[in-house]
Formats: sequence, C-alpha cells, structure tokens
Amino acid sequence: MFFHITLERNMQLHPRHFGPHLRDKLVAKLMKDVEGTCSGRHGFVVAITGVEDIGKGLIREGTGFVTFPVKYQAVVFRPFKGEILEAVVTMVNKMGFFAEAGPVQIFVSNHLIPDDMEFQSGDMPNYTTSDGSVKIQKDSEVRLKIIGTRVDATEIFCIGTIKDDFLGVINDPGAAA
Amino acid sequence: MSLEPFNRLVKLAARAFYDDVTIKGENQPKTGRGDNRGMAVIVLDALTRRQWVREEDLAKALKLHTKQLRRALRFFEEEKLVTREHRKESAKGAKIFNAAIAATGDSQQGTKEGDEKMKMHMHSYCCLDYAQIHDVVRYRMHRMKKKIKDELDSRNTIQEYICPNCGRRYSAFDALQLVSMDDEYFHCENCNGELVAESDKLAAEEMGDGDDNARRRRREKLKDMLQKMEEQLKPLVLQLARVKDLPAPEFGNLQAWEARAHAAAQASGDSNAGDSSKNPQAQGYSGTPMPFLGETRVEVALSGVEAKEEIELDTKPTSIKVLPPWMIKQGMNLTKEQRGEVKPDVKVEQSSFSVDEKKSNMDKEDEKSLQDEYLKAYYAALVKRQEEQEASKKVPQDVELAKNVSEAPFERHVGMKSKREGDNDDVEWEEEAPSTGNSGQSYRLADLNVEADASDHDDDEDGIDWEEG
Repeated sequence: MFFHITLERNMQLHPRHFGPHLRDKLVAKLMKDVEGTCSGRHGFVVAITGVEDIGKGLIREGTGFVTFPVKYQAVVFRPFKGEILEAVVTMVNKMGFFAEAGPVQIFVSNHLIPDDMEFQSGDMPNYTTSDGSVKIQKDSEVRLKIIGTRVDATEIFCIGTIKDDFLGVINDPGAAA
Repeated sequence: MSLEPFNRLVKLAARAFYDDVTIKGENQPKTGRGDNRGMAVIVLDALTRRQWVREEDLAKALKLHTKQLRRALRFFEEEKLVTREHRKESAKGAKIFNAAIAATGDSQQGTKEGDEKMKMHMHSYCCLDYAQIHDVVRYRMHRMKKKIKDELDSRNTIQEYICPNCGRRYSAFDALQLVSMDDEYFHCENCNGELVAESDKLAAEEMGDGDDNARRRRREKLKDMLQKMEEQLKPLVLQLARVKDLPAPEFGNLQAWEARAHAAAQASGDSNAGDSSKNPQAQGYSGTPMPFLGETRVEVALSGVEAKEEIELDTKPTSIKVLPPWMIKQGMNLTKEQRGEVKPDVKVEQSSFSVDEKKSNMDKEDEKSLQDEYLKAYYAALVKRQEEQEASKKVPQDVELAKNVSEAPFERHVGMKSKREGDNDDVEWEEEAPSTGNSGQSYRLADLNVEADASDHDDDEDGIDWEEG
C-alpha cells in the first residue's frame, strides 16, 4: 500500500556546499540518500514530494560538517499481509516462483499455486495448467495476495499466494509477443 | 409477495448467529447486572411481525427500555439487518405514521394519546431490510466456510523447508537466499543439501513430532467444526435456497411506505379514522400487531367473508399464543400455558362469552389435531355460511346451522359473529378486509408441521370462495 507521509531526517552536509545554493544541495542530497531505501517501519521510500521544513544547522565539532534536521514529505510503499498486489515474475523453479512488485520481492511457493498448475522444466521453466491455457513463466504478470511479510531493518520480503479467487496470471507475455 | 419465507430466514439467522450476542454499551462494565443474551433474537422476531415501526412503540411492545432497544437496533444496523430512519416530527408527523400503521391493519394502543402532547421530537423508525439480510447471511456463511476451508488447506500458512541432511529448518521467507543457480531446488546454507518442503515430508512419513501432532489435532478440530457447521446450519441453508429466487419484500423508505400504506387504505374504501379509533378498543393489548402490505389484503376481499375473518383474527392471538415454527417439534403437545395463557385478555366485546370461553379453554388442552379440525370445520362453516348469506341475510338460522357443523370452541366465534353482524353494516365488513391475510399467516405460524398442508388448504378454500362469490 502506498502512503504519503511526513518523515524526518538529520542531514549532514559537507562544508564545501555552504554557499548560495545550500538549500538545493541539501534537498538533492536528501533525495539521493533517501529515495529507494527501505525502512522496516515505513517501507520503501518511493519519492520525495516536498521539503516541509529545514531546521537550524548544527556545526559538528572537529569535522566541520553541519547537521540539519529536515522534515520532508515522501511517498512510501509498504506491503501488508492480505494485500493484493500485481507483480512481475522474475524466476520460476520447482519450489515456486519469485515475483517483484516494484522494490518488493515476493515468493510464491508451489503449494500456494493452484493444484491444477504443474511445473514444466526446460529452457523456460513455467507452471502450466493441464490444458495449457494458463502459463506462468518469467515476465508473466500475476495478481497475488500477500500472506506473510518479513520486515528487516533494510529489507522487506513477502510470501504470496495465487491460490484464491481472482488471483493468477493477468497477462501472458507469450500471447502479447 | 410473501413475507413468510423471509421472516423464517430472519428468525433462523437470528437464532444461528445472534443467539448469544450480548448487547451493551461501551461504558457498561462487563459484569453488568442484566445478562441480556437472547434479546437480539426477540427484537428480530418482533421486527418480522412488523414493517416500519417507531422504536418507542417497539420498545413498549417488547417491554424493553428504549435505550436498550436502541442499542440493540444500532447493533443490527451495523450488522446490516435493519434500516433505521430518524426524523424530527411534530404530533402531526406522528399521526401520519399512525395512520399508516392503522392502514396496514395494525393498531397500537396508547401511542395515540401520547402523541398529541409531543412537540417536534426526534423519532426513530426501524424496519428489516430483507434484501440486505439475504445478502448478509449468505456472505456470512460464505466467509465462515472459506475461513475454515482455507485453514484446512493450509492455504495461508508459510511453507517450511527442512534439510534432510542436517535437519536445519527454513521458512519460505528465506527463499531468496536458498535459491541455487544450478538447479531448481533450494539448497541448505550449511551442507548444500536439497531442501524438502515440510508438508511433503509430513505426508510421506507421518512424523511423531509433538509439533506435528498439535497440527494434526488442529486439523481434526477444523474438520469437525466444518462438519458441525454444515449440519447445524442446514435449515438456514435450505431456507436461503428457498428464498433465493423470491423477490425480497421491499418496503422502501419510511416516507414511501407511509404514502403507500395510506394510498392502500384509501383504495380499500374506508376511512382511516374509523379504523384506527375503533380497533384499539376492539383488539386490546392482546392483539399482536401485524401490519401487512396493501397487496396482501386485496387478495381476499369478498363481502361477507371478511367479517368472519376478522373475528378469527381477533381470537387467534388471544386463544393461541403463537408459537414460532421452529419451536414446535414433531409430537410436541401444546399445553394450556402455550395457548390459554393469554385468554383472560379477551376483548370487552366478548365478555358475554366468558363462560363459553372457560369451557373452550379446557377443550383446547387437547392436541394440536383438534386445532386443525377446528380450523377445517371453521372453513367449512365459512363457505356454507357465505352461501347462505347470498341467499338470505338472515343471521340467526345460519348460526344454528354453523353450530351443528362446528366444534365446541368454534361456537363462540359463530355466536359472536352473529352479534357483530347485528350491530354492523356492510361498511364494517369492508373495513376488516386487511385482516384476512393475517389470519392465514398466524395459522401457519402456529403450526409448522402442517405448514404445507395449511397453505394448500388455504388456497383451496380461496378458490371455492371465489367461485361461489
């Protein structure tokens, strides 16, 4: 799920940036530092939409670096248990398949794949129904439900299932090509 | 449009899902003095006998505190069983509602006088939302089943993997680290052995592990629960299936309903005022208010029959305490308490028959079959009577005839009827038209076992009536 929230961060700025464009430099550094990171609490920071407030800088003794408390707004993405996501399959093996929804890695184990789909090994490993009408392989797009998340300080990993109503392949790369 | 199947659905659902619901306020301590479990069922039951009803009236009828009832209704509103409407209204507004109530054949004593004094008060009305109830119950059943089935299929459990070599366990969360580029299996981080999914192993060689035991027990329990659920909710499922293709009774919102009821009353060609002012006295407290739609009453509108029907309605609720259908089991004898309890409440009009009544009371201690017989005889007499009425409007002879046909408890009705007829003219009969639908209904309610028969019987009777009328 996406959220638009206000976050805070203490930015350390090198003295060489002190000058007329201090603020711009600070914001640029903030974006570089923060966007794409993941915190267990808030999820992935997708984008910074604005800087609300930059507090008074504090010069660190010895180094000359200045610490600014910065308040900024950001779009974050955090997967939840029970959430339905659309994801792109990245790898298929006998144990199941891996998919990505943006920055999040999702693993769907083979017992969470409908029973009528069977693993076909080969050049392009895939899961296929007996009549061959539905095929899950690399680059397929699937709609899945998250049934578990493991949130580390810097990483979020999810377990998904497609064994439920309205879940499964939503487009077939083979058919589109 | 028949309410009966839907009412039955509501009643079954109430007993299935709301039987042990305690309704209390948020700030009320858990150990409140009143354990009001079961109240939910009573309120729902009462609502099945009404359409739109003012909450105060309902509270009075149920002898509940308004606050308590409101809390219950709020709960039902959240459960999407009940629609409520609040509006500010003066005494006049209340009167409109009363008129509508009266038009549907209902009469609530005591509210009339009170209303005159009220000045722009907030009034709340409530009504069952049958269409939504149908959906809600279906959805609830679906969710229940799905939840258990999901757990049985271990659909939402995280897969675990075991290394058969070193016994190390992994969960699916570690999957990313376990993938090997060489083949399609997961490999142990320690010994690089191929991992086995735990459930596969479980199926292969039933391990005697304590953990697994617990899991198996849980599975057993779930299976058991699912089976029990299917078994115990079977009546509800059947009723759902029965109701599926029927159009749900739709009362519309309060205004629409009032307007409709009013219009229907006008159409039936009598004055509301007369009806509502007369009925309270006639019905007394014992009369169960059963407002029905205008359509229902149009069904049987034969002149001459109505008066009789009306009498039956009058006596029904008093002579037989209506037992809900699910309470009556095969071979169950209806005792005096169940039928005769309300007896002393009979109307003032009938006071002259009190002696007869005592007698009939005793008679009624008999089995249900007597009751059926009585009804049959009653209908027979009804037909006969109507015939004769067509020929001549002379009453007393008819009574004698009817008396011969009918059983002892029946005498009273005939006698009373003749008296009434002496008093009232044709206009009176027409006015009673709404109650015809009621009598059939209450009869069916009273006797589940012969439900199908009863309705057939009714239909037959109707057919005859029409032909002859």
